[in-house]
Amino acid sequence: MRINCPFCGPRENGEFTYLGDAKPVRPEGGAGEEAFYDYVYLRDNVAGEMSEWWYHGGGCRSWLKAVRNTVTHEFLSVEAAPGAGGKAVQK
Amino acid sequence: MADFSWTPVSPLQAALKPGRLGEKSGPAGLKLTELTGFSLMQVQARRGRWAETEAAAQGLFGVSAPANPAAVEGSGATLVWSGPQQFLALFPAGYGADWEKRLADAFAGSASLSDQTGGRAMIRIQGARARDMLAKVCSVDLHPRAFATGAAAATSVDHTGVNLWRRADDAEGAVFDLIVFSTFAGSLWHTLVDHAAEFGVEAGRHPA
Ligand SMILES: [Zn+2]
Repeated sequence: MRINCPFCGPRENGEFTYLGDAKPVRPEGGAGEEAFYDYVYLRDNVAGEMSEWWYHGGGCRSWLKAVRNTVTHEFLSVEAAPGAGGKAVQK
Repeated sequence: MADFSWTPVSPLQAALKPGRLGEKSGPAGLKLTELTGFSLMQVQARRGRWAETEAAAQGLFGVSAPANPAAVEGSGATLVWSGPQQFLALFPAGYGADWEKRLADAFAGSASLSDQTGGRAMIRIQGARARDMLAKVCSVDLHPRAFATGAAAATSVDHTGVNLWRRADDAEGAVFDLIVFSTFAGSLWHTLVDHAAEFGVEAGRHPA
């Protein structure tokens, strides 16, 4: 499996760490216990396209947001996580 | 206050045995050389200040700071891309004591600086079989068409993070320079020597 880092280009997946589902969004402070329980603990078990956080720790040390098909392991897109710094490099 | 007189010791002091290693017949397929005495600064643009960082690099080194994975030869230093909006400024041995002040003055307000001089070791890998050895330990495509002179990569060799870049070829073939954390330098050196052994290695050490 290769992951196309927007900064480094295609690399073996051993250079990356999987950080999990990128969908959950932290609720507002007053959203209540149930909303936080859902945010912290409950995850969808997606068979198909899933938005995920990855970390290129063995390379440029950037946080990345990828869309991966969990059935085929095909990566449909990889982009820099918001706030991760520079614009994607044109390869 | 106590007076200190610390003598710098290479992180490869124990691991590196200069001379011929591995296959003994014929000319050595590659050379592995520790480059010593360099000074190294991590330069990271502050949020939204990449344009100012680039301008400061242009003023100080006479070249654009690398915005892509590349190593750029500037006046007095090599600038090696290390991630988005950041690079390593590498000064050769004997550059002069004012290197830190020059950087601090030039990048004041635009970039954060972090001295990495004592924290990294530098290894040069060169020769006719340099690519054959690296192909066994590095997953980046180093074919001349894919990795031209001046190309750089932040990658992992033997699960160890390195910055690797290609210099101009010499008479014997390709020349790659590699920077690694000092504490990992010994184990990485052993890995490189083991994978180079079949080609015959000339190991050495000289100032960067
Ligand atoms: Zn990367």
